[in-house]
Amino acid sequence: MPLKAVILLLSVAGAAYASPKSDFLLHCGGCHQPNGTGAPPNVPTLVGSLGRIAASAEGRDYLARVPGAAQAPLTDDELAAVLNWILKEFNNDTLPASFKPLKGREVGKSRARVLADPLKMRNELWPGDPDY
Amino acid sequence: MNSKKITGRSLQALDRITGNGSRQLARLTSRRSFLTRLGTMITGAAVLPLLPVSRAFSAEPVEELGDPQSCDYWRYCALGGTLCSCCGGTHNSCPPGAEPSPITWVGTCRNPVDDRDYLISYNDCCGKSLCNRCWCGNSERERPVYFPSKSNSVLWCFGTESRAYHCTVAVVLGEASKQD
Repeated sequence: MPLKAVILLLSVAGAAYASPKSDFLLHCGGCHQPNGTGAPPNVPTLVGSLGRIAASAEGRDYLARVPGAAQAPLTDDELAAVLNWILKEFNNDTLPASFKPLKGREVGKSRARVLADPLKMRNELWPGDPDY
Repeated sequence: MNSKKITGRSLQALDRITGNGSRQLARLTSRRSFLTRLGTMITGAAVLPLLPVSRAFSAEPVEELGDPQSCDYWRYCALGGTLCSCCGGTHNSCPPGAEPSPITWVGTCRNPVDDRDYLISYNDCCGKSLCNRCWCGNSERERPVYFPSKSNSVLWCFGTESRAYHCTVAVVLGEASKQD
């Protein structure tokens, strides 16, 4: 069997193994807590205002550029699934009705430009945000 | 009998009942007993953090076998530190006086009972000096150099009042392959 086919099979098997919630708990839940509330001010909460952030193109970009997200050992599609899961699970009340789920391709482009200082950008884009 | 007289008598009766009730209450209680109860409440509030409720984590519906005081216990497949189960706590609750760190690292271990992978949260218990019993140094799927967030050597006492490390617990968050 060609090497590429083996790699493809392995990656498909890996992707099918974990669900977005499982990936969230494994790669994000340690710091952001299993219920997403974080430990402010050290770790920001993921509950509440992310829906408003996801309403803009900069916000969608930001979500995948945060180091914890960008550098997680997940494929682009898996990361998009985790981010969509976080938005639906913890931020459904603030998510705009027009929200379209993040796609792997979009997330892939964003995460290639990992943020060096996410708090600075968050403060610039959403000054006075009570949830970070 | 007119309505004014009826209202007057009703009010007198109400006065009498209230007065008698107040006097009886004053006979049965005292400032001292009030202070006693207040003292009990204050002491109770101070002792409350020592109860298992605040140290334990949520219920874990998982069938398992093994000795939680042994490093070979299945949940400890990536635990680096001392076992709280040897230090007055259990495999999933901190010893009295130690505070569980909310920030932690999460790995997966295979449960030999059902041969399934479970998400395990390794929470450090903090605020007391090191418990020097039952040292354990397992490192399955740990990648400290590439992913510092997946290191069991990191002191995870973040978000706690004290950063003094005491011991570590292993909490099952759920089955790795069955989350929605």
